[in-house]
Amino acid sequence: MFDAFFVQQLVNGFSVGLVYALIAIGFTLIFGVLNVVNFAHGEVYMVGAYAGVVLITAWAPPLIAVVLFVMAVGAVAGFGLERLAFKPFRRFQDEASLKSKAMREATLLSSLAVSIIVREVVEKVFGGAMRPVPFESQLTDPVQIGELSFSTGQFVIFGAAVAMFAGLQFLLYRTRIGLSIRAVANNPLGAKYVGIDTDRTIIATFVVGSVMGAVAGILVALYYGSVFPTMGFAPGVKAFVAMVMGGLSSIPGAVICAIFLGLAEAVATEFLAQGWSEMIAYGFLLLTLIFFPTGLFGGARDRV
Amino acid sequence: MSKRILPLVVALTVLVLVPALLQASGSGYLFRVSITAMIFAILAASLNFITGVAGLLSLGHAAFYGIGAYAAALLATQHGVPFLLTIPLAGVAAAIGGVLVALPTMRLVSIYFAVATLGTGEIIHGTLLNWVDFTRGPMGIPAIPSFKVFGLDLSGNLGSYLVVAVVMLASLWVLHRLTHSYYGNALRALREDDQCADSMGIDVVRLKGEVFAIACFFAGVAGALWAHTTGYISPNDFRFGESILVLAMIVVGGLGSLPGAVIGAVLLIVLPEALRPVGDVRMIVVGCVMFFSILLLPKGLFGEVSALNLVRSSFGGGWKAGSARQSIGWR
Repeated sequence: MFDAFFVQQLVNGFSVGLVYALIAIGFTLIFGVLNVVNFAHGEVYMVGAYAGVVLITAWAPPLIAVVLFVMAVGAVAGFGLERLAFKPFRRFQDEASLKSKAMREATLLSSLAVSIIVREVVEKVFGGAMRPVPFESQLTDPVQIGELSFSTGQFVIFGAAVAMFAGLQFLLYRTRIGLSIRAVANNPLGAKYVGIDTDRTIIATFVVGSVMGAVAGILVALYYGSVFPTMGFAPGVKAFVAMVMGGLSSIPGAVICAIFLGLAEAVATEFLAQGWSEMIAYGFLLLTLIFFPTGLFGGARDRV
Repeated sequence: MSKRILPLVVALTVLVLVPALLQASGSGYLFRVSITAMIFAILAASLNFITGVAGLLSLGHAAFYGIGAYAAALLATQHGVPFLLTIPLAGVAAAIGGVLVALPTMRLVSIYFAVATLGTGEIIHGTLLNWVDFTRGPMGIPAIPSFKVFGLDLSGNLGSYLVVAVVMLASLWVLHRLTHSYYGNALRALREDDQCADSMGIDVVRLKGEVFAIACFFAGVAGALWAHTTGYISPNDFRFGESILVLAMIVVGGLGSLPGAVIGAVLLIVLPEALRPVGDVRMIVVGCVMFFSILLLPKGLFGEVSALNLVRSSFGGGWKAGSARQSIGWR
């Protein structure tokens, strides 16, 4: 009934969905705490990929060293991003301005501006063209299982997604910093009253989210075999779509919807030309916003 | 009497002084830059109408600009429609597109609306790119005729400049009258609190649809001007980056301020051109200017309050001229 080719497509779609999920996890974490959209998340992903590729080209260290280095870069990027684009707009700590529309839109625009600057600077430094990853480091060795062919990158991405998801759940629900992240996400002012350093918690959230984004970047770069300055835009938007579909602050919901999007795109390539299937995600975004404004897995929330 | 001098000064500067100086310099490049600046002034003013005045953050404005450009280009190249007709028809096409987008996204607010417009912008860009039979896809549409009417050839530098300048002044005048009137006040009420505006008897849904139709009409007009003056369009001219560029213009100029939108457009078109010797740093400049203006000048170069004061004292609008002191009413 299902021919091997179709199943193969589903497998590929599943790994694309995992890529979106890797980005969406960090995205959702930051949104849940600050309630602002971090438009620069796709650029953290891109910077992580570039940092990893530069390191590989220079020394070709083992994969685990690359990942650790990229995690460090992601942490620095997250910290810098928060200081640069978000901190200046948290001058006022009262509840009204924490929730105000003006503040939300100011940080949205400032993170957008930072993302433009970062992308263009990377383009100036490394050139706008695709930059190939050295072949021996690529995660594209084929693995044949029955009629289906996988690549090592798909297993690595699957493993990373599971590890990140589990690690994040552990961090959020079993550690002190996770407790304060959840407290700030729930009620920033209340968290402040009970003695939580909200500023540090927000930095921690950005660092954790950006580390995940950067690791996603390098793994995807190794899987696809190339990096380019605009690589963060389309997956970033699709991760955002997954986040909206999943109900904004629900990380499991975002992961499920990201995988669903990947599968939907893979199935769509069966029926549509490549260019049109790219637009599936935007169609889902509109449908979700119109018919399920609270997301598929989200609880009740204020007006959207 | 002195109250009416500023509009005259603006009109004379745009229609006489600047073209005279450009003609004296004899540089086609300078003409090109000023035509681009004027087209983007229309675009920025129309986005300002949605985002600044009515408070609906739109991240897909370039798509409507693109619809207008494609409508004008296809009408002119395939059906030989003269530009006097293609410009309004392009506006109508974009306005229809705008209403179609506005209808489903109407009830979303703040960032959800922004992301929905981003999504529709990408869908429209993707359609222009992939519907090869109709739009010729990535090949674009070449050989779009320039301005010619009744045997009068306006296709030269000066002619194109004057056509664009007249259309720009007319568009800005209409947007000015809409912004600075009872209608504009209703839009500002919508921006500040749409539920409150609704309870005060303002038809929020109708108003949002109208705002989108009007602003997209002018975005389409700008697109038609762009198609006719460059002679070649491709989907790459109407991407997310252009939406952000226009958004940066109105943020820099001051959200909700019509003069600010024009100043922002001129600044962000002229500044990267002036920096061309340094290298192609257009988007870096746009990003930096946007970032620092949000950080240091949150009201923009020409904030809404000073814009309203200027407009009230010198341009009239829907307010009774000179009555600002005697009565607090608008008319």
